[in-house]
Amino acid sequence: MPKVKVPRKSTIVDMTAMCDVSFLLLTFFILTAKFNPDQTVPLDMPSSRSTIKVEDAIYITIDKIGKVYWTTNASTMRYEALNNLIEKYGDKYPAIKNLTEDQKKQFAVMEIVGGPVEDIPRVIAMSGIQLTDYKKKMPGIPVDSLHNQLGDWIMAARYANPKMRIAIKGDKFTNIQTVERVIAILKEKEVYRFNLITNLSTGGNKTEE
Amino acid sequence: MADIDTSSSGKGDGKVRSKKMSTRVDLTPMVDLAFLLITFFMLTTTLNKPQAMELNMPKKVEQPEEQTDVADCQVMNILLDTLDQVWYYEGLSVAGLQKTTFAGDGGIRKEILKKQKELVKSGTCVYPAGNKRAGQPRDFIVLIKMLKGARYDNMVNILDEMDITGTKIYAIQAPDPIEIEAIDNGGVVKNFAAQ
Repeated sequence: MPKVKVPRKSTIVDMTAMCDVSFLLLTFFILTAKFNPDQTVPLDMPSSRSTIKVEDAIYITIDKIGKVYWTTNASTMRYEALNNLIEKYGDKYPAIKNLTEDQKKQFAVMEIVGGPVEDIPRVIAMSGIQLTDYKKKMPGIPVDSLHNQLGDWIMAARYANPKMRIAIKGDKFTNIQTVERVIAILKEKEVYRFNLITNLSTGGNKTEE
Repeated sequence: MADIDTSSSGKGDGKVRSKKMSTRVDLTPMVDLAFLLITFFMLTTTLNKPQAMELNMPKKVEQPEEQTDVADCQVMNILLDTLDQVWYYEGLSVAGLQKTTFAGDGGIRKEILKKQKELVKSGTCVYPAGNKRAGQPRDFIVLIKMLKGARYDNMVNILDEMDITGTKIYAIQAPDPIEIEAIDNGGVVKNFAAQ
């Protein structure tokens, strides 16, 4: 009987299809990934064992020395908030009453609001280097009862999107008084539910129940 | 490479032939790289979402009948000072003011858990007749008071402790002058009449 010769088969597996799939997935993940908002304000956040995740929110940032900023991920929302601010409180802030559409759009591009409303026209006019310089030493949004601009901003942002959560991002070492002031403002504006952004604690002391 | 050479050896007919190069490119490293990147992106996107703590503040209650009745025995006061210390006392008498820390074992957590157990065990701290839950032990309530100049870190810590110890009802309040005075004096209440 003649021997049946088994042909030697190549062990090469065609990787093209696999490559296609993996790059497709990669593209998908890259495109769906949301960019983290730029950390213009250096913050050392406290840690907790809470694991609730916050998607989109109006972030109120309180830095080490108690300056207050606000920001949100969506630029359209910043634009709408500015529009609402002009509409509702335009008489209070004559400086921004006559902003052009272009100026408003430029404002929306900036990721953080960290100064009094009166500064907005000046900040919009700044060039790139001036702006980065300004961002390093922003004066903070006034929160005192006389110039409660944070409250107005919150209202303006809430008009733009009432479903948006409000989250406080505070530095570990900031004084509690500023935080309490911010919470008082939130309560004034009838925001009773909000989040405190923290880092996930890695310390072993949280394991015990 | 990962493949076995299956091409037959030359027949030895003397002709020098240029070897035909395969147009196939080995895509294995490329796939490796792609999957590495996928893994990286998947992990970073899920880990980068900020962690948050939920905080609910009470609405202002206008009508007195809407306010809940709270007994001495169900309350624990926790005060945070500027030196990262925790002061606590039970009920309404500041005289029992004691100092502790945020340490995981033996700190404030132990005191909270102890008080919780005592509350249930004692059997005296119950809802009065007429209440929906008459006879049942009262809920444990913590009043958190932060002194001016306390750090935000401590506020998050104490809220975290509330979560860890399972304390459902807690409130953030402004400290009373007598409490501030007592802490300034190192826990000693000088003016009892003021209570």
